[in-house]
Amino acid sequence: MPPSLSVSALSKSYVVQGIRTQALSDVSLSVDPGALSLISGPSGCGKSTLLSLMSGLSRPDRGAVHALGIGLGTLDDAARDAFRLAHCGFVFQGFNLFPALDACEQVQLVLDYQGVPDGEARRRAREALELVGLGRRSHLRPAELSGGEKQRVAIARAIVKQPRLLFADEPTSALDSVNGAVVTTLLRDIAHRSGAIVVCVSHDPRLIARADRVIEMEDGRLLRDSRDPCSPRRLETSR
Amino acid sequence: MAVALARKSLLHDWRRFLPAIMSVGFSGVLIIVQGALLLGIVGSNALPVTQSRADLWIGFPGTQSADLGRSIDAGVSAELLVDPRIRRIEPLLMGAGDWRGSRGGGVSVTLIGIDARPDALGLARSVPPAVRALLEEPATILVDDGDLDKLATAIGEAAEINGHRVRVVGTMQGMRAMGGVNIVASLATARTLDRSLAAPDSVTYYLAGLWASDQARAVRARLSKPDTRSRFEIWTAADLAGRSVRYWLLESGAGIGFVFATAIALLVGTLITSQTLMAAVAASTPQYATLRAIGVAFPKLRLIVVEQAGWVGAIGLALGLTGSLLAAGLARLNGIPFALGPGIMALSGALVLAVALLAGVLALRRLRHADPAALLR
Ligand SMILES: Nc1ncnc2c1ncn2[C@@H]1O[C@H](COP(=O)(O)OP(=O)(O)O)[C@@H](O)[C@H]1O
Ligand SMILES: [Mg+2]
Repeated sequence: MPPSLSVSALSKSYVVQGIRTQALSDVSLSVDPGALSLISGPSGCGKSTLLSLMSGLSRPDRGAVHALGIGLGTLDDAARDAFRLAHCGFVFQGFNLFPALDACEQVQLVLDYQGVPDGEARRRAREALELVGLGRRSHLRPAELSGGEKQRVAIARAIVKQPRLLFADEPTSALDSVNGAVVTTLLRDIAHRSGAIVVCVSHDPRLIARADRVIEMEDGRLLRDSRDPCSPRRLETSR
Repeated sequence: MAVALARKSLLHDWRRFLPAIMSVGFSGVLIIVQGALLLGIVGSNALPVTQSRADLWIGFPGTQSADLGRSIDAGVSAELLVDPRIRRIEPLLMGAGDWRGSRGGGVSVTLIGIDARPDALGLARSVPPAVRALLEEPATILVDDGDLDKLATAIGEAAEINGHRVRVVGTMQGMRAMGGVNIVASLATARTLDRSLAAPDSVTYYLAGLWASDQARAVRARLSKPDTRSRFEIWTAADLAGRSVRYWLLESGAGIGFVFATAIALLVGTLITSQTLMAAVAASTPQYATLRAIGVAFPKLRLIVVEQAGWVGAIGLALGLTGSLLAAGLARLNGIPFALGPGIMALSGALVLAVALLAGVLALRRLRHADPAALLR
């Protein structure tokens, strides 16, 4: 059975110092496996909030999230932790690598927490690094890696457990265009090859151009939903 | 081996953790050095006991500290020797004197009279048989090596105690008292030097040696009956030494001072260590939040911080113990009483580790900032 992810009638608001911000209003959406789905839109429109609800990092005020056949709203905190540990990978804008660990250890750490035996964990970590093209740099620490390499280590860390759900929040916005393109292609290839659900939040045109589906948001609502935006004309306009 | 995140971060960021390690180490040194000095100083009041080889001490009922002994009736020895487990009984006298050296200068001294026979128990650890034999000659005395300067004398020189002429025939080790000076003579010489010891039917203590030392408590139990308790009291050597130390710890107020200074050392250690660990947690907040995002449970993150606290404590303690051993070496070179025993080391080790772990627990609060949703802004 292919992985599934859908949200229905999601709403979320934040209250800061007595002022309520409606971050998300009545969003319904279903995401396909094996494709890179991109959520884009202006800053503050609720993209990250949607990602955080879809991935079970936080709870909606109203609405439901169904991931891999499980209603995340029905799970308590510990069960959501366990769900994420088993199924979810994350890539963030900041690379968030431990300065003390080399690339291989950063990746292996995830498997340690899953209880994977040491030898197997190290082998799989190397494989994940090969996959992102860092097989020869697995012994280096973050201080010795470029920004693009660091984000690729972070991607290796996200995919090493072969998650069925992969979430990325602005993964290219700290990178130059060449590295941004590499990371984008990598995310799409992972989606195509592994059949996982890959949801990416970005307003980066390079990413938009390579996505299989672009979901545009505005003001906490879905605005447009376009599949296969990779037509040449579309590429032209996004430049 | 799984990735040792706590340990690797500590090694990688050792500069960050150094203040905590140093403060734990210094707390340890402070506690140990203070405690050892205090026990050394206070323990010098128990020197007559700890430097002797007697199993049991018999003295005036209710004596609080070995140096505060009062005279008991010499007839007691006959009652004691009834017990076949007792191998030998010998008197020990304690009095006071006013010392005048040949080069001038007056000092009050404590006068200890011991049995001068080679196999005697009194001060057997400080006065070996060869030196002890020198006391057989009347009006001869021994002084501690470390007191020669204070008394302005040397081996072979003459002096006066309470107006009686004496001659220093040798020195001993380990009898240096804080504040006072211990002078050792034979029983007969002591009786002539201090008039309060002159009466031959009284002694300050009887020292009993048993055939089997492990019988000490049993013999004491048998000999201390209600009708004897008004005339004498029996202690094991460890009892009397412990009682002397406790008495002076409380009486001098030094014990309170130690507790107070230790509390301050622990407080400062806890503050510095917890601040350091908090800063370390804060610096790693995004990384911890990422681990939370991929589903690593909160208690596992706590374990990382607590493990770091444990390492800080362990390394700090190792430094502290090393420093204390150095201090002990210095003290020994300078003849300063420094009682660095396993007790004080275990105490400070436990306190210092507790400090580190408490600091770790305090730093755990910072982990609450490791909220994965905060990475999505
Ligand atoms: N934890 C939070 N506390 C308060 N307000 C928040 C929080 N997270 C997001 N918001 C607000 O919700 C709105 C949507 O935020 P976000 O989902 O981060 O937007 P985007 O990722 O599209 O830039 C913004 O107005 C933001 O200020
Ligand atoms: Mg955002």
